[in-house]
Parts: sequence; structure tokens; C-alpha cells
Amino acid sequence: MTTIEQSQGFKQLAVEDFRISEEPFYLPISDEVELFESAYEQKIPVLLKGPTGVGKTRFIEYMSWKLHKNLQDSESGVPLITVACHEDLTASDLVGRYLLEGEETRWVDGPITRATKVGAICYLDEVVEARKDTTVLIHPLTDYRRLLPVEKRGELLEAADGFILVMSYNPGYQSALKDLKHSTRQRFIAIEFGYPDRDQETEIISKESGVDLSIASELAKLAEKVRNLKEHGLGEGVSTRLLVYAGKLIHQGISPRRACEVAVVWALTDDLEVQRSIEEVVTSIFEE
Amino acid sequence: MSSVEALHDQYSQELKGFGASLPDDLLQGLQGLSEIYDQSQLEQWVKIGVNLAHHSLRSWEATSEFFRVSPEMAKKLTFSELKQWSEIGTYLATDASLMSVAFIKGSPSALDSLNFADLDIWAKQGQRLCRGNWKSIALAALYFQQSASLLNVLSLELVDRLVEIIDQLTERSYELANSVLESSYDIFSNLAEEDREPFLLFAKSVTRASWADTRLYFERGPKLIENISPNERTIFLDLASKVTMDVGRQGFPLFVDAAQSLEEIPLEDQKALLLFATNIAPNSAIAAMEYLKSTPFVRSRLTTEQMERWSEVGVELLRMGNAEGAEAYFRLESSRAEEMLAALSARVELPSVSSMLRMYAKALSGEQVAVLSSEDLVDRNIGWISEAAPTTEGTTIYLPPFVNTFEEQGSNFQVYKVFTTHQTGRLEFGSFNYAFNLDGQHTESSAELRESDQLQNKLSSDAENTDEDSHAQTVSTEIQRYFNLFDDRLLISGIFTIVEDTRVGSYVDREYGGIRKWLQRLQNWEVDRRPEVRAMGLRQAFVENLLRASLGRPDTIRWPQDRYTTMQKGIRALQMVNLEHATVQDSAEVASALYDIAVLIPNVPLESADVEWEPPDEEMIQIAPDMPGGGEGGEAPMPASGDELDFENPEQPEFRGEFKPELVQLMMKLKDQQQGQTDGTASPLTKEQLMELLQNSVEITINEWAEGDLASSLGMFLDNLEKDAGTPAGEPKEQSGESGDERGGGDGGDDEELPVEIDWFYYDEWDFRASDYRPRWCRVGERLGDEGELDYYQDILQKHHGLVMETRRQFELMRPESFRKIKRLEDGHEIDLDEAIQFYVDKKAGVGPLARIYTRRNKIERDVAVAFLLDMSASTDEEIEKQRQKYQEEEEDFQDDPSKYFQWLAQRRARQAIEPPKRIIDLEKESTVLVVEALEAIGDSYGIYGFSGYGRDNVEFHVIKDLEEDFNDRVRKRIDKIDPVRSTRMGPAIRHTIQKLDDHDAKVKILIMVSDGRPQDHGYGRDRTEKEYAVHDTKQALNEAKRKGITPFLITVDKEGHDYLKQMCDDIGYEVVDNIESLPRRLPTLYRHLAAE
Repeated sequence: MTTIEQSQGFKQLAVEDFRISEEPFYLPISDEVELFESAYEQKIPVLLKGPTGVGKTRFIEYMSWKLHKNLQDSESGVPLITVACHEDLTASDLVGRYLLEGEETRWVDGPITRATKVGAICYLDEVVEARKDTTVLIHPLTDYRRLLPVEKRGELLEAADGFILVMSYNPGYQSALKDLKHSTRQRFIAIEFGYPDRDQETEIISKESGVDLSIASELAKLAEKVRNLKEHGLGEGVSTRLLVYAGKLIHQGISPRRACEVAVVWALTDDLEVQRSIEEVVTSIFEE
Repeated sequence: MSSVEALHDQYSQELKGFGASLPDDLLQGLQGLSEIYDQSQLEQWVKIGVNLAHHSLRSWEATSEFFRVSPEMAKKLTFSELKQWSEIGTYLATDASLMSVAFIKGSPSALDSLNFADLDIWAKQGQRLCRGNWKSIALAALYFQQSASLLNVLSLELVDRLVEIIDQLTERSYELANSVLESSYDIFSNLAEEDREPFLLFAKSVTRASWADTRLYFERGPKLIENISPNERTIFLDLASKVTMDVGRQGFPLFVDAAQSLEEIPLEDQKALLLFATNIAPNSAIAAMEYLKSTPFVRSRLTTEQMERWSEVGVELLRMGNAEGAEAYFRLESSRAEEMLAALSARVELPSVSSMLRMYAKALSGEQVAVLSSEDLVDRNIGWISEAAPTTEGTTIYLPPFVNTFEEQGSNFQVYKVFTTHQTGRLEFGSFNYAFNLDGQHTESSAELRESDQLQNKLSSDAENTDEDSHAQTVSTEIQRYFNLFDDRLLISGIFTIVEDTRVGSYVDREYGGIRKWLQRLQNWEVDRRPEVRAMGLRQAFVENLLRASLGRPDTIRWPQDRYTTMQKGIRALQMVNLEHATVQDSAEVASALYDIAVLIPNVPLESADVEWEPPDEEMIQIAPDMPGGGEGGEAPMPASGDELDFENPEQPEFRGEFKPELVQLMMKLKDQQQGQTDGTASPLTKEQLMELLQNSVEITINEWAEGDLASSLGMFLDNLEKDAGTPAGEPKEQSGESGDERGGGDGGDDEELPVEIDWFYYDEWDFRASDYRPRWCRVGERLGDEGELDYYQDILQKHHGLVMETRRQFELMRPESFRKIKRLEDGHEIDLDEAIQFYVDKKAGVGPLARIYTRRNKIERDVAVAFLLDMSASTDEEIEKQRQKYQEEEEDFQDDPSKYFQWLAQRRARQAIEPPKRIIDLEKESTVLVVEALEAIGDSYGIYGFSGYGRDNVEFHVIKDLEEDFNDRVRKRIDKIDPVRSTRMGPAIRHTIQKLDDHDAKVKILIMVSDGRPQDHGYGRDRTEKEYAVHDTKQALNEAKRKGITPFLITVDKEGHDYLKQMCDDIGYEVVDNIESLPRRLPTLYRHLAAE
């Protein structure tokens, strides 16, 4: 790994050099790992669907590590390039642009260009947030052509071998305006991520946060109850991530009720009445 | 000839001329007096009589009475006093002989209570009533007639007061004065002596303040003060008269209300309340009475100390000089009072927590449960009867309307939570999901076995009886089939309830550790209230003990020492459902095992002294769960089943509430059936089946229909059930507008055939005098506007074709470009050539510029929501022509030429025939059409609403187009039907619109109200002429809008609008449209300006 800067106590590396070197904790819910491996083998782009905080990003990190490990070669492994999409994300943000530097201009590759070149997993997080013209850009990359046109330079870039495009999106809160175009959608296979069931979630919370299983199971129970409120006051159920946060706080010695209050109740909603209801669920589950 | 005869002969002739009976009267009198008076006195006496007869036209009648009464008077008076008395009679006869007659006649008995000296005063009192006309004479006579007895109960002084009252009444109504006088004796004789004076004093005030109430007071007053502590009556009556002197005609109704309230207060507590009221009376008499009026309500929620603290706030208001505020406070028509009450009271009311508990129950169960008051369920008459216990019928959690179990509010809320959790538990842990003969987690089902045994028994006993149908059991539900297995349905139902509640309780305890503490507290609370076991029959005691064990308190079990094994077996079996993962199937099996034990125990009392009823030992408390086996221990035999007592199931603990699995399963089945979801196997339930179920079920208390005949009551009951199953138990129809949570959730279009459906909302109203809100003062009924013809809309479009096109064009210009270019950025999408050159130049010149040469296109969305609120008051019906005339006095000049005038008139009529005169409402409608057309062009979301109504509890709110609704033909039709209705209560209409806008998601929110005059409505102000109140409330409502981030704007066509609008709108935009006809043109223009800001 080429570390550009390491003297100041922080690590700074080029995006294409980011690899997952240690196994991230990931508990497979069903066959998603095999599915992804096969897709990777066959160079089929993958769409990860699911609510926030259920482990989509963790999954892709895990796969990056796993595929890397499979290659048995640390140098030519699978780097992971993540792009957080937002509504002002433009084509040049992805592909690259000329920058003025002194008397001249200098071309800088965008993340997708870099991923194409090095054969990385290019992960477009929350892709619906990006503007439509941006999503169209990736079309040639996603079919059999695996080409990235770099218009400004008049170049065509062929994707390196290990390259795969992965996108994630949350069908829950996107409005009709922010749906994926069918032409985009149908270039991906889709893996659905749901909330893990109570036992799985218990394991995840316990592993991630360090709390013992009994508390983890109470947290998982809480999650199950709160998720019942989805569409009835809550836009989105509580994510496993938040539960892990709660678990971590409890692990640090914060009382469970208080931890859930800050990590679950207040994080989920600003509606006072809904807050109050969830709080009551919390106080029903956790003793003082 | 005796002197008597001589005198008689001497005068009889003279007297005969006056009246035929006079000589006889004289004779009678003479005879009576002859013993007492000497000859000369007798002669003087006769002369007095004769003079009296001569005195005036009919004064001989007085003489007649004089002769008759004198003997009696002579016994009480000296002769000279008698003479004085006769003089009084004479001067009364001057006014009216009738009065004199009554006086003379009444004198003897009056003298029983009066000194002779007072006789004159008494006479003067009567004389005072006489005003010369016959009515007054009759009244005065009546007075003398009555007062003789009246004087027995009232002192002369008080009678004087009474006369004063009566005298005052005569100015209004003699009839009233008469009846008051007539009833006086009865009233005062029944009043305690010390109450009489204050009663009269208050009567005086009432008469002065509102004479007509006097009759009411005399009729009802004694009854009203009857229940007030005798020691305090005087204080109360004094207070009432002070109040009445202060406030006039309001005084009496206040007195009535306060007295009725005091009736509900225990005598010993009245003193403090009255003292408080008397103390605040000098500051505000009304507040004092309102305080008394509110006390029963307040006391039901607060302790004495809390109430003191509550009252202090009101006193503080008085001290600050805000009397109106204090009155509203004590009248409980103030938000402050309610908030204070809620803060102090330990009692928790269901409405304040129901929506939160609903969400809580939804979270726990994962089902669409509603939370309603138990009263609602009882009203539905489908078998539940307790209004104060929590329960569920499978889709809705019913909770008591309030909880007051503990002394702190927090604890009572926890009680609600335990209630909810237990009821939700029945849903969550499947209490109603019993399936026949399914094995449990820990037990195997014996149901099928029992059923075949039962059949076998029946077959053998019915061996001769070959009627096939007799054993063809008809069952409607699984649980019914289960219950059918047992001969004693009451017993199995009771046991099953206990077992299943134990199981649910155990789940709750395991799953929800956080409320364990409160569950235990309630369980202990219940255990402390259990009835004495020893008095029960043995079987009942057994079941009662099971319940105690079920409440987690096996230590409170009491059972005969020598039969402990039976009890142990029972407890052991019950423990089975405390095991993890136990299901309702386990409960059923455990219940059957317990039933087997219980039926063998005769329900006889066992009070013989030789057997000790022991509390359980340690082993029993820690007993391990097990199903009862076969072997009997060496136990004392059960007593012979001699005189068995009636068995009753133990009373359900409050927090568990009613449990009716049979009815719930039946309802679920009916519901499925009505939704056409019957599974192929089961045929639809027949009426007979249902009747059978209901007749057998012990879940319906028989005494409910004991009155009528069983069959018809059951039929009605069944109708209720079916009706109920048909209407999905959903959210309550009425919702407080304040919470406004899940309103408008979807169904917009599918209510086509339904009659007008009205959703009610409640809003506060601002009372500027009290500077406080009156809580939930107005009721707004939201309904869809009626639909008229589609043609109307099209006609308007055609008529205003030019204007429509013009406004559309203008509006289209407003449509924002979807992207706005932002220049001078250091990073962006494109390079701005001008900037780039400038940069290069600067750089060459060495000016050290920043490379801001990029541009970026940013998306900006137009995000505006507007609500139009149209005044649909009756005044908008007015024709514009007339209105114009009102302002525009200068008539056309016809130069006194009638022919010209007629010509003009004819022309006008012709015009009107072609085109009916326009009303204000027509212009509002036309403007609406134009605005709609314009808004459709621009794409802003908009709502159109009309309001009117009458009185505070019926503010009509018509939805022409809701904010979320799409513009369609139905909206077009509704615009046609915007018609004038009644009054203009602006405040609540504005508040409701605010609520709608607030629920809608938009960056810019605008409320435009179109009206034709000032706000006014029945009761929208202190009296009909007051305008201040309405203006202030409307202003407050508009300010609330601003606080919510809504821009309010008022348009009025009332030319006089400037004066009140200035006050009402303060810094809120408004416009008075001078030329009414320009409204359709003006409205879109205004909107353009508003929305562009």
C-alpha cells in the first residue's frame, strides 16, 4: 500500500489504494455472499437495496476483503472506491476534470476513472441522490462493453479486469422524483437487504459493540418493536447501526435507558409524540 | 230589656241600611263584649262601628268584621287600645274597605305574635301595598290575611323586608307578587330560623336585579340551600346577595349553579370553600361563584392542598387586576386553569395519553391496534359491560377513561402502561389464536380425546334416543368447541381466564423487564384487595387461590392444611404456563387439567374449627411446574357435597380486565366472513349457530337481557355484533385538531356514496379579556363541499376567457427556471469566459486574484403551498348593486323626470333578467376559478376552503379542494356549490386551515382569506353588539399562523374594513378591494406578489 503521508499521525492514501486488510465483521443473512461472488466472477454490476444502516456498506467492505483474500495476492487485490452520491454530483465529479494549476491546466481523474483503471470495486452509495445525467454516464460501463468514455479528453477507457460497479439505494424514502431510471436499473442484479431477525441482530450488536448477549437481545427486541412503527409515525425503522451505537454506549457504562434515548429515540424522530411512544417502549424493555 | 238589646235596637235600624247582616253581627259582638265592657264603653264601641260604616262607601263591611272580631280583641286589649285599633281600621278603610276588613279580621291572630304597639306598623306595611287599584287592594288584603300566620315565622322587621320585595314586584306583576306572598308562609316556616333573614336579603337582591327570577327563587331556593351545611347557609346566601348586587341578573343563575355544585360537597368541607369564595368576592363576585361552581369537578381531581395551589393561581390573577381572567380561570374556560389542573392532578385522563399509547401498542404488537375508551366498547353493546376495566376485542385496546389508582401522576401513567401492555400482550402472545386440539409447547392436547369420550358418554346415555341431531354439535369457533368439552362452562371459563392471564403476564414479565416493577406493584395492589378465602365454598376457594398464585403471590394462598396436595397439584399445573415459549394451547391444556381437579372439589363452606387454613410453606412457593399425574396422595377426603354454595368465578384483577376469547374469535370469524375470506372448509355461520353460541357462552352476562325475552335480546345483540364486525375498528372518528397526527392518510376519492361525512376538530379560542385561551372552545366540522354542475366552471372560463389567458401567461412567467446559474465559483461545471479573461488579465497585472471563473447551475425548486379560505357567510348573498348603493349615495340624476327614471328602471330590469344580479359570493367563486386556472399553470399546491357556521360548536368548514387533492371535475363541481350559509367565525376556520398547511410539506406557505366583512357569530363576543372579542380572536389566529411560518393575507370587499382591519391585522398584510368587481382580477395578482416574496 503506498502511503502518501503518515507523519502527522494520520493516514492519507490515494483512493485506488484503499483496501480492506482486516476481516470486517459481517454476518451473512442469506446467500448474498455467494451471489456477489458469482456476480463478480461474471462481471455483472450489483445493486444493493435496503434501508439505511442494515449493513450494505459493511457488506461491500466484507466482499472487498473476501475477494481480495481469495486472490491470495495482496498487491493486486480488490481496492474499494466509495463515492457518496448527492444531488449536485456531476459527471465531471465522477470522471475527472481539468484543474488550473499555475499557467496551465492539469487533468485529474475522478473516482470512477481511477476505479476503471485499477480494477476496483466502485461503490456508488445512495445512487438515487445523484442527478440523472450522472447515472446515465455509467451505462456503457455496466453492460458488456465495460467502457468509460472520457469526453473531455476524447478518450475511451476500458475497465481493468477486477472492476465492478456496485450501487446502493434505499427504496424506503425516495420519492417518485428520485427513482432510478429503468434503463439504469435494469443493468444491475439486485440484492435485497432487510433487517436481520432478532437472533442475528443480537449477535451483530453483541459482536460490534461488545455488550453481552442478554443486553444485545433486549436491543434487538427494541428494534423489532420500533420497526413496527414504520409508516405509523416513523419514516424508517431503527437501523442496526444505531443499535450498535446504543450497545457501545451501554458498554461504556451509560445506562441502557439513557443510551437508547440518545441513540434510538432522539436519533429516529423529532416528533415529540412518537418520541414519547418509543421512549415508553424503551422503558418497558429496560429496567431502571 | 238589657242594655245589649237596647243598644241593638237603637242602632239596628241604622245599620240595616248598610247591610242586612250588620244588626246580627252587632248583636253577636254586643253579647260577647257585655261581660267585659260597661254600658258607656259598649255604647262607644257601637258608635265606633257605626261611624266606620259611615266612613266610606263600603266600609260597613269593615264594621261587620269589627263587630264580629271585637269580643276576641277585647280579651287582648284595653278599651283604649281597642279604640286605637279601630282607628287604624278606619284609616285603612279610607284607602279601601276590603283592606280594612282583612286587617280587622287578621288582627286577633296577628296579636299573637305582635305587641299592640306594633299593630300600627303592621297595618302600615299592608297599607303600603295598597295603591288604590283593585289589584293592589286585593294584594294588601291578602297580605293581612297571610301575615297573621307569617308573623309566626318572621319578625315584624323581616316581614317589612318581605313587603318591600312584594311591593317591588307589584311594579312588574301583581300576579307574581300574589303568588310570592301566598307561598311565603310555607317557605319560611320550613326554613331554619337563622336562614330566614339571609334568605330574604338575597330575595331582595334577586328582585332588584331581575324581578322575574323571584318566583324561581321562591320555588327553588329552599330546596337548593337544603343540602348546604346549616352553619354555612347564611354565608352562602350573603355571598349570593352580594354577588347579585354586583352583577345583576346573572346573580341568580350563578347562585343556582353554585348551590347545585355545593350539594355535591360533603357538609364539613363546604366551610373552607365558602370562606375562600367570600374572600375573593370583593375582587370579583363572579369569580367567587364560578369557583364554587367548579369545585366538584376540581375536587374530583385534586386533593385539598392541590386545590389550594390551584386556586392560588386564580387569586393571583385577581390580584393583578385581571378579573376577567380570574373568572375564566375559575370557570375552567382557560387554558391556564386546565394546564394547572393537569399538572397538579394525580389523575391521568385517557385522551391525554391515548395517541401515545396507541403507538406504543402498535410498536409492541406490530398490529394496527387502536386505543379507545372502554365506555365506547360498552356503548357498542356487544357483550362487554365494564366501563372502568381495560380489555380488548381483538383489534382495539380499550382502556378506562381515567386512572386514579395512585397518588402521583407518574404512577397512574404507569398503570395505564401496564393495562396497555397486558392487553397488547393478549394480541402479541396469541391469546385469541386457540386452535382445537393443537399441542402446546409443553403439553399435549387432550381435547380430541375428551371430545370422543364426551360423545361416547352421550351415545350411551342416549342409547334409546336415536335422534341424530341431538349430538351433532354445532360449533362456530375453535374456542367454543374447546369450551363445549366441559359441562361446567362457567368454571372452565374462569379457570381458562386465570391460566391464560398468567401466561400473558409471565410473557410480559419476561419480555418487558422495564415494567416488571409496576406490574408487581399492581399485582400486590390487587392481592391486598382480594376477598377472604375462608368464607368461600371450597371450589371457589381453590380457584381464588389459583388467581393469587397467578398474581405472583402464592404466599397469600389460604387452604385447609389436610388437603394441601390438591392445592399443590393445582399450583404446579398453573406453573406450566410460566415456562418460556408456552402457548395458548398450553393454557388450554393446563386449564382442562385444573378443571378436572376443581370439579371434584365440592363447593361447600368448610368453616369447622378443627381444620387450619394454612398459608403455604416455602416449598409450595418455590413449586416446580408439572402437569398433574394420576396417583392420589394420602389426603383427607373431600367433604361430602352437601349444601353446595353457588360457584362464582373470582373477580378479575383490574389491570387484566375482561377476557372474552369466545366473543373475540366469533367476531374475527364474522369479520372474515363479511370480507369474503371464509376458508373453503368452513361453511358460513348460520344464525342458529350464532344464537347457540351466544346462549351457551358465559361471557355474556345473562342479567343484561333478563328484562326482555331472551330470543329477541339475543337477536339484537347479534345484530350489534355483526354490524361491528362489518365496520373495521379503526381510528376514532373524532380527533383533536391539536394532535392532528395521521390525518388525511390516503382515502381521498373512495367515499363517493357515503352521506356527508363530518370530521370534527377542536380548537382553542382567544379570550382577550382573560388574555388566555379557552380550551377546546370551538368545534370545527370539516366536510367535503357539495357538488354542483360542471357547466358552471366552463361558463366562467368562457366568460372570462381573456382574463384567464392573461393571468395564465403572467403566472407562467413566474415559473422558475429549473436551474439557476451561480457565477464566480472556484469550482464548478463550466468556465465563465468573461471571468476567465478577467482572471487572466488580473494575473498578468499581478493583482493576485482568486480563480473564481467557474459557473454552476443549481436546482431551485418552487415549493409553495397556498390555502384560500372563502367567507361563505350569509352576508355574501348580498347583491353587489345594493352594496354599491349603500356606499354610493349619489343617485343618478333624473332631473325629476319620472319617464327617465322609469326608462332607467326598465333597462335595469331587462339587464337583470338576462343576467341575474351578481352577489359577492359569485365574485368569490369567479375569482376562485381564475386563481385555480392560474395555479394549475404554475404548479403550486393549493387548497380551497369555505367556512361558515353558527355558534362555537358548529363551525362549518367546507373542503372545495384539499391541499393534497388533485384538481379534477369533482373540484370543479364543488366550486359551483359554494353558497352563502350563516355566520363568520373566522378564528377557528383560520386555525383549522393552519393545521392543514402545517401538515403539508412546503417551504413557503400562504393563507389567503377572502371575506366581505368583520368576523361575527353567535357568542363571538360578550353580547351581540360587541365586536372586540371576535377581532381579537381573529388577530390571535392570524398571529398563530405567522408563528407556524405561514404568511396570512386578508382580502376584503368591505369598504368599511379599514377600521377593524387595521387593528386585526397589525403587521399582517391585507387589502380592501374598493371595486368589488375587480376581485377576480385582483386575487391572482395579489397571489403573484405574495408568492414571489
